[in-house]
Parts: sequence; structure tokens; C-alpha cells
Amino acid sequence: MKLITKTIIYYLLISLPLLLIAGFISYFLIRQELKDGTDEALWKEKVTIEKQIYLFNKTKTIYLSLDSLSYIKPVNQVYSNFKFSDVSIIDKLENEILDYRVLQSFYISKNQIYLIHLSKPTLEDDELLEGLYSSFALIIFFLLLAFFLVNWVISKTLWKPFYQTLQQLNTYDLKNKSNINFKIATTKEFKQLNTALVKMTDKIYLDYSQQKQFTENASHEMQTPLAIIKISLDNLFQSTNFKEEELIILQNIETSVNKLSQLNKSLLLLTKIENNQFNNYEEINLNTLVTKLVSDYQFIYESKNIKLIILNYESVKIKINTILADLIFGNLINNAFKHTIVNGNIEIKLKNNSFTISNSGKALSFNENDLFNRFKKDEASKDSLGLGLAIVKSIADNYKFKISYTFNNNLHTFTMAF
Amino acid sequence: MKILLIEDEPQLRKSIKLFLYNQGYTVESAEDYEKALDKIFNYDYDCILVDVALPKGNGLTIVKQLKTINSKAGIIIISAKNSLDDKINGLDIGADDYLPKPFHLSELNARIKSLIRRRNFDGEKNIIINEITINPENRNVKVNNNEVILTSKEYDLLLYFISNKNRVLSKSNIAEHLVGDHADQIDNHDFIYTHLKNLRKKLIEKGCIDYIQTIYGIGYNFKIN
Repeated sequence: MKLITKTIIYYLLISLPLLLIAGFISYFLIRQELKDGTDEALWKEKVTIEKQIYLFNKTKTIYLSLDSLSYIKPVNQVYSNFKFSDVSIIDKLENEILDYRVLQSFYISKNQIYLIHLSKPTLEDDELLEGLYSSFALIIFFLLLAFFLVNWVISKTLWKPFYQTLQQLNTYDLKNKSNINFKIATTKEFKQLNTALVKMTDKIYLDYSQQKQFTENASHEMQTPLAIIKISLDNLFQSTNFKEEELIILQNIETSVNKLSQLNKSLLLLTKIENNQFNNYEEINLNTLVTKLVSDYQFIYESKNIKLIILNYESVKIKINTILADLIFGNLINNAFKHTIVNGNIEIKLKNNSFTISNSGKALSFNENDLFNRFKKDEASKDSLGLGLAIVKSIADNYKFKISYTFNNNLHTFTMAF
Repeated sequence: MKILLIEDEPQLRKSIKLFLYNQGYTVESAEDYEKALDKIFNYDYDCILVDVALPKGNGLTIVKQLKTINSKAGIIIISAKNSLDDKINGLDIGADDYLPKPFHLSELNARIKSLIRRRNFDGEKNIIINEITINPENRNVKVNNNEVILTSKEYDLLLYFISNKNRVLSKSNIAEHLVGDHADQIDNHDFIYTHLKNLRKKLIEKGCIDYIQTIYGIGYNFKIN
């Protein structure tokens, strides 16, 4: 929800109950005022009439209004002093109840008592409420309008530095060494915000580059002892004095050292891909690359007697880093060769916006959702590091390629959409 | 044949130096950037092995220096940095080869021999081992003057064996050499059996002695007395 929308909602939440209370109070006050006004008018009329009675002595009933509700009537005795009262009368013609304010008083002039009965229609409640409703609706409407306008102006001026900062944060890319340059704000809070953000991004960038440096250095430091072990083993192998079981031990050490070295390289590679350190790219012909990679891997799996079909539907060109292109397609092709059963088949399809590779093989021994996770491997391939498809996924994510996997009729299919 | 080894790690330097010496090379070494510069400015070498990360400087700068003084030495970068962009950089500024650590000594040996062969145009072009004659330029192999038709991988295998004759080569070592750039993705080295079997068969058919010995549990040795 936008800041302006939220502000207006809060404002409404506060102002609506207040307006409601104000409405109630106004209703009662106005009603009282109106009543007082009517009473005053009736009183004035009464005084005028008394003067008239004094001047023109009449001894019969006189009607003062067309509806015969106000009249002067000679009576024999005084019941009370003056009295105000509310009277409701049903109007048969319009079939509605009409409210009247009535003043009854007695006046004695020249030994004759007169009853002065004066009535005035009062404003009806529903009319009063209607008036109140419409005036309050108008007030709310204008308040909203004013508030919206004020907020709009505020967000255009007062909040402008904030939105500028936000815009800059959105476009900030840690991988490209572009330091944030915030526009200088005049508001104290925004100044503080920008200072804090500059400090934070600087720290993040520093950490980021240190971490990058660390992975490089760690790998470097690890490769040197590994190189020493490997070279020492090479030299040990030249000795002719070993017994068979000792040779097997040496072989085990060599296998483990190789695996450790592969693991180290692969993890470093993953870190580098995720850190977007392969950011230069060029346009490559995928058909050529796939043909080369297939021939690179084919001789390794020659004994499996795999039937291979490459379907070049279209000439495909993609923009990608050449090292990563080798890795992503190489890993997928190697993966297919590795898991194809003996005498099985591999089919590669190249279309303008997709690369599909399928191979015949047994169903996965684990949940297919884990397929691209690190260190996830089939029970059958114990020697595998389980990083090949993680590398594929990581590169695909980097280029926003969509990679999907299906298994149908003993056929594993990986599809990559560009 | 004079080789300069520029490597800061003492144990590695010692092992490589000893190995190259046993292979019949004259080997000198330098442990840091300054000592390396001192040597390259004062002496001529046929081949220079240079580590990228060095105390007091960078190996790639040494390669650049060698190029500015028009050195005729072949240059092999040995690097633990293992970054593929380092390899491209190194080759771009004029190194002849790039070998990521950790490597097998036999791989280093094969690279040095190949480099020296490429550089010595005036010398003997063919490699002759008893009845086997190899012409590296057109990748042609003859046994007793009869041509042996080998696949590309079988040829690579034979050349690797011959470059490292009388040395025990482990299966993984041979596999890594054959697979090259994709070695890190390979977890099974059994494929070398097929290629080795075919190579042996083709050589023996032409009357070649079976020089390739199987070393139980480890690998193979191309043995020549």
C-alpha cells in the first residue's frame, strides 16, 4: 500500500468517529436552538396580540391562521400561567405527522379573560437529519480532496528525496562496482537516511569483495598442499619396493586427493558463478559448441555403446560467457552420458529458444525436487561429487534460463529455455 | 636444456626441481619475483615455469617482462588460482601453456616436452624410440617404418607414455591428461582401458614390442631399457 493511501486511511479512521460525534452534538444543539427561536417568535407574537386585545376589545373567538391552529378565545377562568408544549398533528391530506410548537397563555383585559393559543410548525427531525447528513458528506468530501491534494504535494516535494533514494537503491548492483551517489537532501531525517545507507552499502561492498578475495585465497592455499601431496605420490609410485597392499593404499590416497581437489575447484566455481564473476559474454553458436562437447565426452563413455542423435532444428546463437557455456552444456551432456544405461540412447534437440537433452535410464532414487541441489547424487554413482547439476542450475539462474526436468517412459529429459 | 622454475612454495619447488633434474634437464629456481627478474635478465633459458602468485610480485608481470626483452624461452604458467580467466589472461599476454595446480609431474613433463618440440624447429623433428617413430607435426606414428593408424586419443595416449617413459603413471593421471579441460567432471577413469587396449593391439600388430606394463593397483609404465 502506498504511503499516501495509508495516510489517508489513517486520517479517515481518526476523523470519521470525530465527525460522527460532532454530528450528534450538532444535531442536539441545532434542535435546541431552533426550539428556542420558535419559542421566542411565539412570545413576541403573544406580546403583540396582547397589545391588540387591549386596543380592540373583542368577545368572540378570533382565528389568526388559515389552519385554525392559532386563535384568541374569551374564556371564563385562568387555568395556568403561560405554557409551551409540543403537539403533533396528523395531516390527513398529506398523510404525515406535523410537529408544532404551541404557546398557551392567558390575558386579562377589561375584566375579560382571553386564551391566546399560538402554534408554529417546527422543523421536522428527519429534515434536520437530512440536512446534517448532506452537510457532513460535503465536509468529508472536501476534507478528503484537500487531504489528497496536500499529500500529493507533500510527496512531490517533501518526500522527493526519499523516493530518489529508493530509486537509487533499486538500481544498485553490488556486482558492478558503482558506488551509490545520493542527491543531497535538505531534510534532516533523509540526510541521516542517506548517510546510513552510504555507510551500509560501503560496508556490504567491502564485505563482498573481501569474501570474494577469501574464497580465491582459500582455494589457492588449499591447492598448494594438494599439489604437494599429488607430486609426492607421483614420486612414490616410481619406487619399486612396494607390496601389493601398500600400492592399494597409495591408490586410495590418490583417489581421495583427486576428489578433494575436484571438490575444491567446483565449490570455488560455484561461488564465482554466484558472485557473478564471469560477467563478460559473447555470442556463440550453440550447434557448434554442442557438437564439440559431445565429441569431447563421447570417447569417455565409448564402452557403453550409446546411440546418439543430435537434432539441429535451427541454428542457435546465444549471448553467454564462453567458460560458463562450456560448463553448463558440458555438465548436462556429461550427466546424460554418465546416467545412460548400456546400449541406451541420448537425444539432443536444438531449437531457436531451447536446448533439450534426453537419455534413457533408471528412475531417480531420490525426490526430483532435490535434483539440482548440491551434493545430491544417485545411489549408483558414489564417486560423483554431486555438484554438476548444481553448477548447471547456478549458471541457468545467472542468465535467467529456465531449466526443467521430466521423467517419462524411462527417459530423463532436461529442457533449457533461453 | 635449461629450465627456470619460479615457485615460492619450498616443498613444491624442491620436488619439481628434483623431478626435472632426473629427467635430464638443467634446472635453476627462483623463489620470489625479484630473484626471478634477476635471473631472466641475466641468463637465457629454454623453458620457464612461472607461478602466478609470488611474494613481492605477480607471475603474469614476469611473463610481460619476458615478452618485452624478446625472450625466446617457452613459458608455462603454473597457477593454484585455478581461475579460467587467469588462463585466458596468461595465454593472451604471451605464455605458451597454462597448468593449473595441483598437477601431475608427468603432465608437466609432457607439456615441457611438447613446448620444446614446438620451439626447436631446427632440431630433430621426429621422436624415435627403438622401432617407434613419431612425427608430432602431422601426428603420424610408424612402427618399423609401417604406418600405424591411431585415433586422436590413442595418439595422445602414446605420446604421453613416451614423454614419460620409464615412469609409473596412475590411471587418474592418464585419464586427466586425455580428458583435458573437462577432467573435473569425470569421476570414473575406467574408459582408459578401452583406449589402451586398442593402442596396444594396433602397435603389436605392426610388430612392436609391448612396452606398456600394467602396475597392479596403480596404473601403467611405458618401460624401455
